Amino acid sequence: MAVEQPTRPTIADKIYDKMFHNYLWKSIFRTGYPNTPRNQMLVVATNVFLHLHPTRIHRTHVKITHTYCLGGLSFFMFLGLTITGILLMFYYVPSVDRAYLDIQNIQTNVQFGQLMRNMHRWMAHAMVILVFMHMMRVFYTGAYKPPREFNWVVGVILLVLTFLLSFTGYLLPWDQLAFWAITVGTNIAGSAPVLGPKSRFWLLGGLQVGPDALIRFYTLHVIGLPLLAAIFMAVHFWRIRRDGGLARPL
Amino acid sequence: MATAVVARPVARPQARARDEEVLVWPDLVFVEFISAMVFTLTLFLLAFLINAPLLDQANADVTPNPSKAPWYLLNLQELLLHMNAAMAGVIIPTIWLVILGAFPYFDREQEGQGQWFGTEGAVKITIAAGLVGFVGCWALILWDSGKLAFFMHDWFGISGGDRLRFLADVRSLQTQLPWPDWSKEITYLPFNLKLLSSDAPGGPTQFQHLDFPGWIVEQGVPIAVMVGLPCIMIYTMWRIGWVETRRDALLALFSGFIGAYGVLTLVGTAFRGQGQELVFPWELKVSEGIPGQDAGGH
Ligand code: HEM
Repeated sequence: MAVEQPTRPTIADKIYDKMFHNYLWKSIFRTGYPNTPRNQMLVVATNVFLHLHPTRIHRTHVKITHTYCLGGLSFFMFLGLTITGILLMFYYVPSVDRAYLDIQNIQTNVQFGQLMRNMHRWMAHAMVILVFMHMMRVFYTGAYKPPREFNWVVGVILLVLTFLLSFTGYLLPWDQLAFWAITVGTNIAGSAPVLGPKSRFWLLGGLQVGPDALIRFYTLHVIGLPLLAAIFMAVHFWRIRRDGGLARPL
Repeated sequence: MATAVVARPVARPQARARDEEVLVWPDLVFVEFISAMVFTLTLFLLAFLINAPLLDQANADVTPNPSKAPWYLLNLQELLLHMNAAMAGVIIPTIWLVILGAFPYFDREQEGQGQWFGTEGAVKITIAAGLVGFVGCWALILWDSGKLAFFMHDWFGISGGDRLRFLADVRSLQTQLPWPDWSKEITYLPFNLKLLSSDAPGGPTQFQHLDFPGWIVEQGVPIAVMVGLPCIMIYTMWRIGWVETRRDALLALFSGFIGAYGVLTLVGTAFRGQGQELVFPWELKVSEGIPGQDAGGH
């Protein structure tokens, strides 16, 4: 290895140094800008968000064609939905009298309201599709095999939670589309033997889609199910690390 | 410490191959960042171009025709048209999810893991089973909607005549065959059997009556089809030497599912018009419904 010769620092070097090696920066990030292998590993290991990753990863797994980033994008959709969802919550009241008008209001009177609503909607559809495709990718790469059995099960639970999240959100605009889709959907659930009618009643808080159903779906949609999904995602990600990273051939 | 744990019968994580590893920053973080950006931009663009739908305010008195569940449930709504509601809507999806979750406990070989179609013949099995699911599901839907008989007759001039009328669709098995009367009212005891009750005569002795031809149509045929066809497919593939391992069997099962599930979702979404009639997507109209009127008519 050639020994590096010290050269005179250029202007750019000085700016760089001022930006990334000052006291404030280091108080936040500990390391300098991650431009050496040591700092690159440190930044992943010490940053709470990047810490979801290992510091080093097998080279086949960074190839985009191995995962197509589908799991990561599912998670990204979840984050995006949380952000746009919180913004929508500022304006939306889950009562039969207000829900529909609030949505209209969001679309016409709120700055970027229509955009936020559109984003939330399309991201929700995207998440359902991405999670399903992620499952297909895991299956066809044979990545469910031991020792990842249980993480596959956690995945199946996440798939169901994703459907439920999307389904509960569908009612909230309280328009004809929402009302009848949920009526049809809960009728399907209600047809189950033994538990069906009870679980439908429990879900709707009554015999048909009405004010009680709206508040139940809302509560499940904005806190109950996201909380559950977050917990299972935490388990999912933790297990990926514990199971030795992504699956690779023997 | 982990070393204190007694050896488990399940597989342990593979040892790491450090010389084959790259740094997460920048190699992975960069890829993640790019894909997140691409998605953000695409979704922004989509959100600018297409507005989320908002119809009239909900009204329990006005039923749109057809009324449809969200698109990812339309596969179940489609199943619902062909069989007993509890079976289509709850029992089958539940059983399937359990089977899906049990995959790794059935197929525990390490061979081919972590690689796209890593086992021999995997692509072949996937394509073949996917096609079987796709074509088979379409064929069954066409049969049950009576379209198959209709095409045969109108396009090819083939008619089964009266003798084969019972094959026109699944329901005809019930209506077009000379079932004896007793078969439509078979007495049996359900779970809430009250036979032993010592109450007064005419009291709680309770029997339920099974309509056997109806049962055939609503449950018998669907179960036979959904359990039987995948079994026949996998058995055939095994006999011709395509399916050798458990992984192969799962490949066939899962790919067949993807094919059929795709067709069910597609048909439920794009091919079901008013009254859930099977129509072409370009003929699909939704009647918003008029208060106090049945939404079907104009
Ligand atoms: C909300 C839904 C989900 C999220 C956010 C999620 C996220 C992730 C992420 C980020 C990974 C890392 C590798 C990759 O990106 O492919 C992963 C891997 C994995 N996921 Fe998921 N996932 C979800 C649903 C599912 C489902 C539905 C299944 C299967 C039924 C599943 C099974 C697995 C398995 C077995 C792995 C390990 C793959 C390997 O070792 O190559 N996950 N998941």
